[in-house]
Amino acid sequence: MTRPTLDLPPVGETILALESVSKSYGNVKAARDVNLEIPRGSIYGFLGPNGAGKTTTIRIIMNIIMADGGSISLAGQPLTGAMRDSIGYLPEERGLYRKMKCLDQLTYLAELKGVPRSEAKKRSDQWLTRMGLAEWRDRKVDSLSKGMQQKIQFAATFISEPDLVILDEVFSGLDPLNIELLREMILEEKAKGTTILFSTHMLAEAEKICDAICLIEGGEIILNGPLDRVRADFPLQSVRVAWEGNPEPPKDLQGVLHREKSENSWRLTLAEGVNPRDLLPDLMAFGPLTLFSANRPSLSEIFLEAVARHRKGVQS
Amino acid sequence: MKKILTVIRKEYLERVRAKSFLIGTLLGPALMSMFIVLPVLLADKGGDVERTVGVIDPSGLYFDSLIEVLVDRGDDNVSLKLIESPSGSTDDALATLKESILDETIHSGILISPDFLDSGRATFYNTSVSALVMRDEVLRPALNRVLREDRFAAAQVPDTLYSYLDARTVWSSIALTAEGEEQEQDEDVSIIMAIVLIMIIYLMVIMYGSHTLTAVIEEKSSRMVEVLLASISPGDLMLGKVMGIGLAGLTQFAIWSGAMFFMSQRGVSVGEFSLDTAFLTPVILINFIAFFLLGFFLYATLYAGIGAMCNTVQDSQQFHTPLLMGLVIPMMMLSLVMRAPDSTVAVVLSLVPLFSPVLMFMRVCVETPPMWQIALSWALMLVSIWLAARMAGKLFRMGILMYGASPTWATLFKVLRS
Repeated sequence: MTRPTLDLPPVGETILALESVSKSYGNVKAARDVNLEIPRGSIYGFLGPNGAGKTTTIRIIMNIIMADGGSISLAGQPLTGAMRDSIGYLPEERGLYRKMKCLDQLTYLAELKGVPRSEAKKRSDQWLTRMGLAEWRDRKVDSLSKGMQQKIQFAATFISEPDLVILDEVFSGLDPLNIELLREMILEEKAKGTTILFSTHMLAEAEKICDAICLIEGGEIILNGPLDRVRADFPLQSVRVAWEGNPEPPKDLQGVLHREKSENSWRLTLAEGVNPRDLLPDLMAFGPLTLFSANRPSLSEIFLEAVARHRKGVQS
Repeated sequence: MKKILTVIRKEYLERVRAKSFLIGTLLGPALMSMFIVLPVLLADKGGDVERTVGVIDPSGLYFDSLIEVLVDRGDDNVSLKLIESPSGSTDDALATLKESILDETIHSGILISPDFLDSGRATFYNTSVSALVMRDEVLRPALNRVLREDRFAAAQVPDTLYSYLDARTVWSSIALTAEGEEQEQDEDVSIIMAIVLIMIIYLMVIMYGSHTLTAVIEEKSSRMVEVLLASISPGDLMLGKVMGIGLAGLTQFAIWSGAMFFMSQRGVSVGEFSLDTAFLTPVILINFIAFFLLGFFLYATLYAGIGAMCNTVQDSQQFHTPLLMGLVIPMMMLSLVMRAPDSTVAVVLSLVPLFSPVLMFMRVCVETPPMWQIALSWALMLVSIWLAARMAGKLFRMGILMYGASPTWATLFKVLRS
């Protein structure tokens, strides 16, 4: 049995679509009416705080738990159990067989995704080499460091050459060096046309890598689309300023919503429609400026603002 | 289907390649032969040490005859010592006898009454209940014979008439098989063989059944399960696991059976016991394999379902024990079934699916029950396996992603009812 080949849409067209997917646990709504369209070949950030419903939604996509309602389609076809072989999944709760050799482990997991045994072995060897773990090939997993184990798990996700890969908190617990290595690999896989659903609560990480994002909170999607468009919707800006002697800026600066001290500088969040340039004369009048930079809003700022807007919307 | 095979292969190889499998395979028969050989050896020797019994024989008529009879009977672990006093007084001799028993120079003593021929009276002196066994098994029958022989002699019965009168019935037992064949029956061997085979079923089902439990729990505690469920359905995963582990059990089983068959072909005998292939009739052999497989699958699926609900082996203890009772209770009822294999109680109990691997198989061994009963118990077990698999599948789907609080019976039933 080889895996059913999907009639993949062109890059940029929707490969995975969720329509009104919902799931409750008792009174808790883990996913409400989730609609999502993930374009092929993109890295799609699935963002939200812990407990927002990210993992539930992903488990529904993977057919591990059943949705109460809604539908999911992959490459235009309703998603079935057999089609899961086209999806790679690295869960947040991930492990390895401790007593199994690295090579056997990867081979087994590839085989379970429908890769024939000989091919699975060949690819396992290639991935171990690519991860710099070639010499650990015949060692048992429990002799590996945690970072190495995470690399093996990462390799296991991509080994079946899936069309869509779901990564749930892939960077958690990794050191910066390994984060960089995996980030490069994710970009390499993207270049090959693999679509990646990148779920995380670390917005700064997502910002560096994602083409498009959706924000989920309380089981509901409150924002989604390509990163540029999302940014355009949130012209909210801040400036970073510092003066000689690092004095506290005046409270009544025109057009400033709030002030926040960070190490040797101040971050001023601007009111809507205020151009940072308009602020400059007042700042220069206050004292000799040593730093002035206007920033695009960070994802976490956008996220906070989106949650605030959403709550206002729900209330009104 | 291919994925189930992948899981079977992994579970099978993982077990067969483990050192513990090799050790178990080698040590198993050694332990089992100890089960067989030790009781036989012990029964042979009666577990006895050399005992000295003091004898006071005031008439002086019986001591020599008693020795002769003991030798004739082959009771060579009892030796007799005549106790006499220099004065010739029976009371003095008795005092010496008692003293010797108390300071343990002799084990026990008999006073044969001077008018033994008429009264048949003898008094036994001892310090422990255990001596009574020797009195009843060795001294009493021997002294009975002395009495009988002396009375025949006193009545001047000729030797030829005596041996004619002293005759014993001579028995041999022939078991009739369904094909109308006759075969010589050796009860002891049949029962010992039956118990050995039941022990094998019992141990293998417990051992490999609980393997499934730990394998499932391990997969949960190593957080492997979600990765797997992204590739294979919970039902297939469970099936693959149970079958892989069962196959490993069957391999060990086959090695042992092969070794046993080979040994019996060569003719191995220990004491009076010899391994007898005649006992392993096709009916018994087929049922042996069938009840092992059915028993394994029934218990293994139940264990797998329980494993899916638990996070640690400790969690599973509360569920494990009642399940284990399903195997322990029939072991305790074994002798009941052995004595009356066709009683209503035995028939009903042996049809209870959890008990069948032990009790129905015991009945097959001691007295082949009607074919319909065997078929019914197979059918009932198959149905139970199907039910257990459905139940376990449900527990598996619901429980496998449950972490945190250890489960209780209440959560178990809640999941089953949902």
